[in-house]
Amino acid sequence: MDDRKRLIEYIARSLVDDPDAVGVEVIDEGRSVVYELSVAPDDLGKVIGRDGRTARAMRALLAAAARRGDKRGVLEILE
Amino acid sequence: MDPQDEKPRAGSLFLDERDRPPSSRLRDEVEDKAEHAATVLDELLALLDIDADVDIREDDERIVLDISGPEAKHAIGRKGQTIDALQFILNKIVNQDPDEERRYVVVDSGDFRARRDHGLEARAREEAKRALTEGKVVTLEPMNPRDRRVIHLSLAKLPGITTESSGHGARRRVQIIPSTKKR
Repeated sequence: MDDRKRLIEYIARSLVDDPDAVGVEVIDEGRSVVYELSVAPDDLGKVIGRDGRTARAMRALLAAAARRGDKRGVLEILE
Repeated sequence: MDPQDEKPRAGSLFLDERDRPPSSRLRDEVEDKAEHAATVLDELLALLDIDADVDIREDDERIVLDISGPEAKHAIGRKGQTIDALQFILNKIVNQDPDEERRYVVVDSGDFRARRDHGLEARAREEAKRALTEGKVVTLEPMNPRDRRVIHLSLAKLPGITTESSGHGARRRVQIIPSTKKR
């Protein structure tokens, strides 16, 4: 399984009140891979954070998880 | 303050958990939190495929987790972006229970944070000198609250200038203002 998907899932599940509602869709867009994160509506703020800081930190870790030859990973949070 | 805190404690017997001295109760809580934080950091590093160890360096007021090992530099990342993101996420995860006291978790690797602070202080002195000689306000790049604090503190006692933060959120920057500003 995709390590980056597991990373996003792990972080999101650790942050939210409803971990069962966490889902990550992986969409290969050719040059990049989109990780589409969905959470329970009440948990949206928890994965986005004030001024989007939590989302930004997740994006930084997603970038850190990329290894040579990996496509660029893009995190999208579904609202 | 809770009026109960003012009652004399002398002679009390610690019959149950609540009667134990707050200091030792706090210590247990901090230790639990440090263990929890170390476990989560271990997991995050494994998911990042970084071969490194996590040690709890000290747990006084803050919890300091130290990353070491052959791939520790990958955990720091360019300009410390990775280690800062790890620290931010870790604080969110460990401090989400509103019933528990918040404990600030610092993620470090060797002397990375100390070196970065020294770099910031040197930079602050340099820019302060520039503000003084040119008589102009020097605005630094956006920084996180902690780094801004390092700048403010390092220049607090320097005569002839004051420092302020302006801007919002992630764009907040320190300004170094000479007292004899040329307008």
